[in-house]
Amino acid sequence: MSTRLGVAVVGAGQVLERYHNPAINGVPEVVRSIVIDADEQRARSAAERFGFPRWSSDPADAPRHADVAIVLVPNGWHAAISCKLLEQGVHVLCEKPMARNVDECLSMIEAARRGRAQLCVGHNRRFRQHFWMAREFLRRRLIGELVSVAAEEGGTQDWPRSAAYFDPAQSGGGALMDVGIHAIDLIRWLAGEFDTVEYRGNGSTEKVESEAEMTFRLANGANGKLLASRDRDLGQKITFTGDSGFIEVGLWETSLRIRVAKGKAFQNAPYLDIAVPRRPPQDASFVEQLRNFVLAVRGEGGLLVDGREGMAVVEVVCRAYAGEKSRALSSAG
Amino acid sequence: MENAKNVKKVVAVTVEEHDEVARAFGAALRQEPELLPASLPPQVVIKPNLCDITAWETGVTTDPRWMGVLAREFRAVRPDVRIRVVESDAVSAYKHYRSCDETFERLGWVDAARAEGVELINLSRAETMEIRLKGVPSPVRIPQIFLEEMFFVSIANLKVHGYTRMTGILKNSLGLLADADISALHPYLSATISQMHQLFPPDLCIIDGRIGLEGHGPIMGDAVRMDSLLVGRDALAVDEAACRLMEIPVQEVPYLRRTAKDLGREFGEFEITGELRPRKFAFDRGGGHPAILTKFASRRLHENMAAISNRWIDRAYRFKREPGAFMKSAISKLTRSR
Repeated sequence: MSTRLGVAVVGAGQVLERYHNPAINGVPEVVRSIVIDADEQRARSAAERFGFPRWSSDPADAPRHADVAIVLVPNGWHAAISCKLLEQGVHVLCEKPMARNVDECLSMIEAARRGRAQLCVGHNRRFRQHFWMAREFLRRRLIGELVSVAAEEGGTQDWPRSAAYFDPAQSGGGALMDVGIHAIDLIRWLAGEFDTVEYRGNGSTEKVESEAEMTFRLANGANGKLLASRDRDLGQKITFTGDSGFIEVGLWETSLRIRVAKGKAFQNAPYLDIAVPRRPPQDASFVEQLRNFVLAVRGEGGLLVDGREGMAVVEVVCRAYAGEKSRALSSAG
Repeated sequence: MENAKNVKKVVAVTVEEHDEVARAFGAALRQEPELLPASLPPQVVIKPNLCDITAWETGVTTDPRWMGVLAREFRAVRPDVRIRVVESDAVSAYKHYRSCDETFERLGWVDAARAEGVELINLSRAETMEIRLKGVPSPVRIPQIFLEEMFFVSIANLKVHGYTRMTGILKNSLGLLADADISALHPYLSATISQMHQLFPPDLCIIDGRIGLEGHGPIMGDAVRMDSLLVGRDALAVDEAACRLMEIPVQEVPYLRRTAKDLGREFGEFEITGELRPRKFAFDRGGGHPAILTKFASRRLHENMAAISNRWIDRAYRFKREPGAFMKSAISKLTRSR
């Protein structure tokens, strides 16, 4: 094995505990170096619990101890912290959304260029195998020409959100920005660019929306609708309907349902479920994401989600917010 | 693809000259022209029975000459049709791993495919997907090719089988599973075969009974000259006809019983055109049969234990993640059950 990369983690909250700390275990090419959090007590506690040899409350300590950094702070801090690290040559894996707006995204891309560092954005779901399968089926036009896309994701107990999630200034948006952004990224990746978007939500200047509905048209002509919610349990899936079948991919579960009108397997069956969830449910996407990032840093591969890709998703969300209609959605939708 | 008019007809042809495969198949088509459709989809997929590296005249495997015979017939219907022959790797009864590529090569399929412009596909190396079959504890891996439109041809042999009594068209579908070792499915063969048939029903079924295999089967036994060819469009009907030919009571074949039940059909719902010359096939369960039953029983026990463990692991996981939702659901289920 070549030299292991020292990893700094900035932000020692739930995201580290649930996803990125187990991911670090799964990538032996990196070694824990320092954990940083504005809350000293939390940083020290995370260092002890997860085995980081150092802790700090200042992100400026990262470049001295680490080659790569994983940025897991509230959205409003993504750009500021990532830019400082990138400019000093620290490669950054920044959690989604990349930033609150396109200007911040551009500043991060520019900082990466100046610091000659890799910038990766944490759209981890792209690393789940059933999405790769769906992407290949869509590429092969197994369901014919894409006609429509329907996505929905939301839950009442999906994530223990801190106060920052509800503050428009800190978060940059509500349900669409932190829940719907997964589906937006996947739709872009699987089916192509967004053309027109139209958004309705129940947010205000003081509080971000908890319900969001975005209708859209893709560049390839397909129409679509995305529902994102923090208040309701929704279907957690994206359905791609073509002129000769459909593909339904689970956003939470590893599920993939398909129908190809003329396909042999559908002579007697209305559809097939062709991705079998394992038990207990495990999510290897964070491991694969970190591995992709590390390989890119070592010059052994390309990033699946670089700064431009991360920015394209934020651009769709910001375009939706900018064109928001005055009519608000009721919380019941 | 199915034609209601001839779907349950089975054509029986006598083939005394064993080199005359084309002529025999032509005779079957003359007896029942609708065995081949008037138009074909862009591809035809042919599944022979290449369960072991054994020459066709042993009665164990399919004669590679079938490829050329079928290719010419299909191209007469659609000149640009893409023809693909599929088979998967296997672990034989001797626990010897057999690569499908090696089988294609050594049994002459590679040369024949080159000559006929046909593609050979090793399904164990092709793109696959996982599905669950009802009543089968583990998911199975099947090739993605079956998501595509096709005319599907299954060619089987006339053979007895140590623990399913006979093997024909329906059991040939097990070769579509991508995993080489399918012995874990043996306790669930009937459920597996029935569901595989419903997922991938052949459009044309051929049992090449020029040489049959009696004894233990499906790769061990004695070749027996039968001079017969059975062709039809309904797999259950063709397998039933094969049972008649071998004088095996269909009720003794568990997967035929299960498939008929799952399809909501009775045995005997077909008619044979042509002459059937039955001969009672010797059947040797072999000393291994009790061992096989013991193996099945221990597997079922093991899998039931695994299922119970998994259920409790799931419960513990759900309780840890969302204790409130878990308790609510549990109380609701308990209340309902009372």
